[in-house]
Amino acid sequence: MSGETALPPGFAALEPFVAGWALPTTAARAARRGEATSDEREQFFAAASPLVASALAHLDARPLHALDPAEQRLLNLLLALAHVGLAVEMQGPAEARHALGRARMQITRAVADAEPGA
Amino acid sequence: MTHPGTSFSPIPADAVAWLGTNPIPAAPYYDPAYFERERRAVFLTSWIHVGHACELPEPGAFVRRDLEFARASLLIVRGNDGIVRAFHNVCPHRGTQLVEAAAGRQSRFSCPYHMWTFGPEGDLLSAPDFGAFHLRKEDCGLKPVALQECAGLLFVNFDPQAQPLRDWLGDYAGRLEQMPVARATTFSEYTYEIAANWKLTYDNFQENYHLRFVHPRSGGAGVGGDNPFGYPVEIGFHGPHRTQRIWSNPDPALKPFQRAASFCGIPALAEQGLLTLPHGRDYLALFPNLFVIGTPTQPFSHTVYPLAADRSRGVVRVYWVGEDASASQRLAREYALAQLRDIHSEDVGIIERGQAGLASGALSHIHFQSMEALCRHLFLEVDRRVQAGAAGPEQRG
Ligand code: FES
Ligand SMILES: [Fe+2]
Repeated sequence: MSGETALPPGFAALEPFVAGWALPTTAARAARRGEATSDEREQFFAAASPLVASALAHLDARPLHALDPAEQRLLNLLLALAHVGLAVEMQGPAEARHALGRARMQITRAVADAEPGA
Repeated sequence: MTHPGTSFSPIPADAVAWLGTNPIPAAPYYDPAYFERERRAVFLTSWIHVGHACELPEPGAFVRRDLEFARASLLIVRGNDGIVRAFHNVCPHRGTQLVEAAAGRQSRFSCPYHMWTFGPEGDLLSAPDFGAFHLRKEDCGLKPVALQECAGLLFVNFDPQAQPLRDWLGDYAGRLEQMPVARATTFSEYTYEIAANWKLTYDNFQENYHLRFVHPRSGGAGVGGDNPFGYPVEIGFHGPHRTQRIWSNPDPALKPFQRAASFCGIPALAEQGLLTLPHGRDYLALFPNLFVIGTPTQPFSHTVYPLAADRSRGVVRVYWVGEDASASQRLAREYALAQLRDIHSEDVGIIERGQAGLASGALSHIHFQSMEALCRHLFLEVDRRVQAGAAGPEQRG
């Protein structure tokens, strides 16, 4: 695959999730967790969580500021998984109710939104 | 590693006997008249946390901070001399608020009304047709508010007679300086507004009694074994301030992704020397409304600003040393923020439910057990000041 949803070699299985989950800011990722259906979250988590170690190994091989667009998308997927993992692993059936309280906590600044350090 | 079942020795109740065991009056948690006395006797005379030096990295960098308890907007700015100062965000000509932006960087600050223009040290640089005023420029600078710094944390005090910040913090100043926040260069932040009194809100975060009930899923790693409530292993008091040392669960129930997303940040923390700091399991509760937590994987501050007797605003910041340098570091930081926010978001509703109950006036008193001693201590410190009527600057509106 190529273009807007391409991921680095070895991660093609996650390309169907790029459009929905490879979001550029922490607040957008947190919001997407709340807006998705539980099926969407569970499918994403099931596909992506086994690939965390290999994705980090791939991405950590170069400095953050040197990632190409495909690698940046892969990183954004991992960062979305940070939110989805909390829903799937921790909250489980309580996730829908949990989202109500979470909506009260407005993310106003996030280090992941900044330009990466050298 | 300690074996489950032998990890925890409870703090004996007589360790906090000096605080008393009496019921605590309920009205201070909802009564507007008490709130007004508190505003003057506590908030206008204490050092209040307003930001961090890393927000103001260079001369001209500024933040605007609105402090409802003082009915004030502050302009906090780093001068060309490198010193951070706080001023009322008020033009001395006729009072117009000078700065609208929440943050930025400017070499001069011009009032939009008649263009009086100030430097980042607060002095009046120029004013159109100034000769017609019969004033001296040096008498027309921005009105300062005392600002002092400890461990990168910025505090202001509206009381011109306030003791220096370091005296106010006492021994805890040195502890703060050994926490990650002292080395922080950046942070993530979330805020919330809550329909609850500031003390009721703050108290929620200085007792562990509620953890297993309010955080049954998100707080799983902090309770268990021979410490089913996740009580602290140590508590301490220092003047109006207090501290807890958080219990380390020897056998935390970590989920697989939770483990991966948390542990991938450890190598960078180790490299930065942040894992061996002495207060990694401690939090400081700094009077009246600030917590600072030394946990290296999740070093955060939490400030509860009073808005009204039954309304507050919380600001939580997770502080980091250096921008994200690797994917692993970025993932760990994202997870740390999201996880903390998950836990705090579970507290908001239950605190508001407490406020709704108290506001009915049904209770004349509430009760604190010995492991809610920090809540009791906060009330005693507040009430002592309120009863003494240490009114602070009498004229303040
Ligand atoms: S009020 Fe600011 S210049 Fe007139
Ligand atoms: Fe809580």
